[in-house]
Amino acid sequence: MTDSTQTSALMKEGRFVRFLSSSAGRATIAFVLVMLLGLIFNADGAFFKLGMHRDALRQASVFGILAVGMTVVIITGGIDLSVGSILAVSAVLFSILTLHLDWPAWISILSCIIVGAGLGAISGTLIAVTKLQPFIATLAMMTFGRGVAKYITGGQKISTYLTNSDGEVIIKELPRIFKVIDSRIMGGNIAIVSIIFLFCLLITWLFLAKHKWGRELFSIGGNEESARLSGVPVKWTKFLAYTVSGIMCAIAGIAQAAQETQGDPEAGGGYELTAIAMVVIGGTNMAGGRGGMGLTLIGILTIGYLEKILSINAVPESGRLLITGVIIVLAVLTQRKNRN
Amino acid sequence: MRKSRIVTVFMLISIMFTSLLFANGQSEESTTADKLFTIGMSQCNLGEPWRVQMNADVKSEADKYDNIKVIYKDAQNDTLKQRSHVEEFVSAEVDLLIISPKEAQPLTGPVSAAMAAGIPVIVLDRAVIGDDYTQFIGADNVIIGKAAGEWVVETFGGKGAKVVELMGLQTSPPGQDRHNGFREAIKGSDVEVIFEADVKWLEPNARKEMESALSRFDDIDLVYGHNDPAAHGAYLAAKAAGREGDIQFIGIDALPHEGVAYVKDGILNATFQYPTGGNIAIQQALKILAGETVEKNITLGSRLFTTDNVDTGGVELK
Amino acid sequence: MNSDLSTPVIAMRGIGKKFGRVRVLENIDFEIFPGEVHILAGENGAGKSTLMKILSGVYTSYEGTISMNGKIIAPATPLEANHMGISVIHQELSLIPSMNVRDNLFLGRPVTSLGFVHDREQKKKALSVLNDLGLDVSADALIEDLSISMQQLIEIAKAISINAKVIIMDEPSSSLNSKDVEILFSLIEKLKKQGCGIVYISHRMEEIKRLANRITVLRDGKFVGTSLAEKLPTPKLINWMVGREMTNMFPRYEMNRGKEKLRIENLTVSDNEKTHVKGINLTVNSGEILGIAGLQGCGASELLMGIFGAYNRKTADHIYLNGKEISIKKPSDAIKKNIALLTNDRKATGLVLSMSIIANICMSGLVELSQWGWRSIFGEISATEKQAEALQIHASSYEMEVGMLSGGNQQKVAIAKWMQISPEVLLLDEPTRGIDIGAKHEIYQLMNEWTKQGISIVLITSEMPELLAMSDRVIVMHRGSLTAEFTREEADAENILAAAMGKETIRR
Ligand SMILES: Nc1ncnc2c1ncn2[C@@H]1O[C@H](COP(=O)(O)OP(=O)(O)OP(=O)(O)O)[C@@H](O)[C@H]1O
Ligand SMILES: [Mg+2]
Repeated sequence: MTDSTQTSALMKEGRFVRFLSSSAGRATIAFVLVMLLGLIFNADGAFFKLGMHRDALRQASVFGILAVGMTVVIITGGIDLSVGSILAVSAVLFSILTLHLDWPAWISILSCIIVGAGLGAISGTLIAVTKLQPFIATLAMMTFGRGVAKYITGGQKISTYLTNSDGEVIIKELPRIFKVIDSRIMGGNIAIVSIIFLFCLLITWLFLAKHKWGRELFSIGGNEESARLSGVPVKWTKFLAYTVSGIMCAIAGIAQAAQETQGDPEAGGGYELTAIAMVVIGGTNMAGGRGGMGLTLIGILTIGYLEKILSINAVPESGRLLITGVIIVLAVLTQRKNRN
Repeated sequence: MRKSRIVTVFMLISIMFTSLLFANGQSEESTTADKLFTIGMSQCNLGEPWRVQMNADVKSEADKYDNIKVIYKDAQNDTLKQRSHVEEFVSAEVDLLIISPKEAQPLTGPVSAAMAAGIPVIVLDRAVIGDDYTQFIGADNVIIGKAAGEWVVETFGGKGAKVVELMGLQTSPPGQDRHNGFREAIKGSDVEVIFEADVKWLEPNARKEMESALSRFDDIDLVYGHNDPAAHGAYLAAKAAGREGDIQFIGIDALPHEGVAYVKDGILNATFQYPTGGNIAIQQALKILAGETVEKNITLGSRLFTTDNVDTGGVELK
Repeated sequence: MNSDLSTPVIAMRGIGKKFGRVRVLENIDFEIFPGEVHILAGENGAGKSTLMKILSGVYTSYEGTISMNGKIIAPATPLEANHMGISVIHQELSLIPSMNVRDNLFLGRPVTSLGFVHDREQKKKALSVLNDLGLDVSADALIEDLSISMQQLIEIAKAISINAKVIIMDEPSSSLNSKDVEILFSLIEKLKKQGCGIVYISHRMEEIKRLANRITVLRDGKFVGTSLAEKLPTPKLINWMVGREMTNMFPRYEMNRGKEKLRIENLTVSDNEKTHVKGINLTVNSGEILGIAGLQGCGASELLMGIFGAYNRKTADHIYLNGKEISIKKPSDAIKKNIALLTNDRKATGLVLSMSIIANICMSGLVELSQWGWRSIFGEISATEKQAEALQIHASSYEMEVGMLSGGNQQKVAIAKWMQISPEVLLLDEPTRGIDIGAKHEIYQLMNEWTKQGISIVLITSEMPELLAMSDRVIVMHRGSLTAEFTREEADAENILAAAMGKETIRR
């Protein structure tokens, strides 16, 4: 705010200024900052290799899918802490169905999505009908979901290595679906998981921007009582929001399992925080009512690239935490609307 | 409201149902012999596969004997919880306590209290302070890290090697020891670590870091993972880049369905066992319960599994 | 107080303000003298609130200067302005609902000893403030448990308790009932005597006439004039405000009473805590305006909410529309039957301030404006244009957030939302709250228009002239029950007030 005079002197009124003062424009500032970081610390030119960018997008994809669902929930003024746990349930379920029980891929995928939607729907019911606070309800679901994942696996990873009754380890062939999801197309330039992520983002964006339901989400986040008195089906809309988040977790879980070639009941621990950070850095308001999928995409790319750039430079853990913390604060500061 | 009442009833039913399931899982009783000994097993965190394996080792060994019954408690990585677990065992008057402590300092007191109550204590894997316990059983991470380093120097026999090191949590002693042991062994040789990252034992992190290493270095000879999942994650990254053939992968822990299976499957070139000591603990417990005197400290030997020897059960490390 | 009436406490010179590229204030001069009530008048969106927000440190970038007792000041935050002795009662309440009265009174400047809040002392001070003002409320009551009217008075008490030299009141009476308005006016008298300068923003002519020492009028962000009150007769004032003559304020010419439209039998409205409405029967005919009168808390608002399905507990009641019984369990049921409810608090229950004008106007009619749930962008824009034109909503763009509109334009958006569903029955709870006199006039004309089309209107208003002039029939409520019913001819302020106090005059 102090530099507002300088900035206005630097830039004459126009499209550029207007863009920079829009939410998307402000979200872009943080992203550009991160990319500059990459240009400067390019790790002996590694930053300029195409593969690096492909990997950055791929690595951000699982988080991105979670952030898509999280955006929907946060727009209603809620929060979903259970995403990591539901991801784990889906990852282990998918692995059990395909690796141990040899179910066909599409039935397994469908089952996982149904289970993810179901878990999300339970949170949704607790929040919309029983009027539990989203934080509490999804905190409970976070614990419960982790419990489910551990219970059905006995705490062990579900991999192609099975212990038979004699205690011997037998090795099974990795099903094709795992390889398909973890492969790349277009001359190896884009990973399938990235495509899954972008597809989820696009569909959800369409619903948010063009569908009645999207409008209703925003109105609930903006003022739930006004929305109710204007005839918005508040309960149903909220319920759907958490269910959609559950579905996204299920998809992310399948992508996670395919990339790990196994289902780990510990998978996704702490992912909820990254997903929330991505949404918030994009500029979606934690209080609800403001935001959007496009913004979240910028947030996902910002954090995704930041992690990648820190990684190729082999920055030690302490440095990563410091830098990430600073970037989050900077990003959210640039997000803040100028009062005048 | 009627709706919320239905929801509540539904929830209660499902709660009862799940707790029944869990109750079933827990009450595995062994049939009584003449004198039944009860052993309390306090595990610090069943979130790690290696510790799950430790419990499994305890169980499979204990199942061989009719006269012992083991009660398991999992502190879920919470020191205070583990502390109260120990106190519960003491007041339940178990015949022997096996503890794999989360931290030394805070659990030293409770262990002493158990000893004072006349309950013998076997400390597994991580030590407590002082010597107020019956027996300590554990492996030495420095030695294992060193063995890994020596193996690399030997394997590349003077040709020199460029190594990526994917480290376990560097604020934990095992992560530090596996790092220090390895570095000590390669010192002075022409094995060189060109990229290192703290992946906190986690496979997804390992894959990410390896991808960065791959995009940065065209020439990598070996990946040293502080645990097998890290090495496995690195392998997946290399495979995605089509470079898995040029790189060797080694890991530590050698759990039967993880590291050992990876070696069998041709994913890892070698894995160094970090034994849980679960089975030894039961054997030693029987001796203690029979009134024999036992050694104060047992350092567990490690095994090396490589492609050549994995089918014959690996070789003992000196 | 040695107040020198010849020099102003506050002098604002050449004030200008832009939001982005939209200019909302241009070269405004404004002075406040000690011990006077200075009315700031003008249409909705004229820039009154904005000018006062500049004075009170809410907006810090503006053109021109502010001086206080001859010294240039530039309050950077509302708190700083507070410390300088400038205190504001905002159009929108700024109390913290979950805190009690005394903590709210001393918010930002708690009574402390050694850095800890000194509870006993604070309570003592709070009681003395409340006593001074003659407010009958416990210092420990939570704000959210108080009526809006009482909240507004607390807000005023808070502003007064800082020993302000200047107090700005932005439409303070818009959420007060007539009894509390009297309390407010006596407070203002007291403050004047203490030498406090008061800026009073209002759209109510009777208040302006009664309070004004001086009047300044703004129009479209420009300065129109300042005059002593006695030199500015009402017609001229209106001319200054709207830029033209206005003859008949309440244009209710003919009534077109038709067949019975809505009949309510035995409606009881209650929530977990209390019963607001007890077994009420009423009918509204098509083309009729039924006025409901009553004091704050008489249950009139709850009655409308109950009809609309906004309360989920109702017992054996019957609602008939066009002679057929209908079931309304939730607001969307009512909307499906083309019944609309304009609530009395546009910010809390009427609008979603963070959304655009389009989104708000299309909120209730979203089902009709979409196919398979997919919204039609063009449909929404043309619907918005139609409504905005009919209601004369002034905005630089329909994509603008409703929260950025002036109070009156916000109210018009709330009305537009309901016109979009083509209502048969309009339940209007304080439809002209905070609306300027030009716009009020327009809304009265629209109400005529609507009834001509056969729409039935139920009208709650706390402005007696409006009630008397617009209603074809008046019913009066007291503590949740009907106490009287008057025809247009019978109704007058006196007998309505008597019935509102609980005197039963109902005839069968
Ligand atoms: N934050 C903002 N951003 C953009 N425009 C704004 C903002 N706040 C106010 N405006 C615009 O400034 C103009 C003046 O608004 P203001 O609230 O001062 O009007 P007012 O005279 O108080 O009207 P009312 O009597 O309806 O309260 C309006 O056109 C309004 O839309
Ligand atoms: Mg205003």
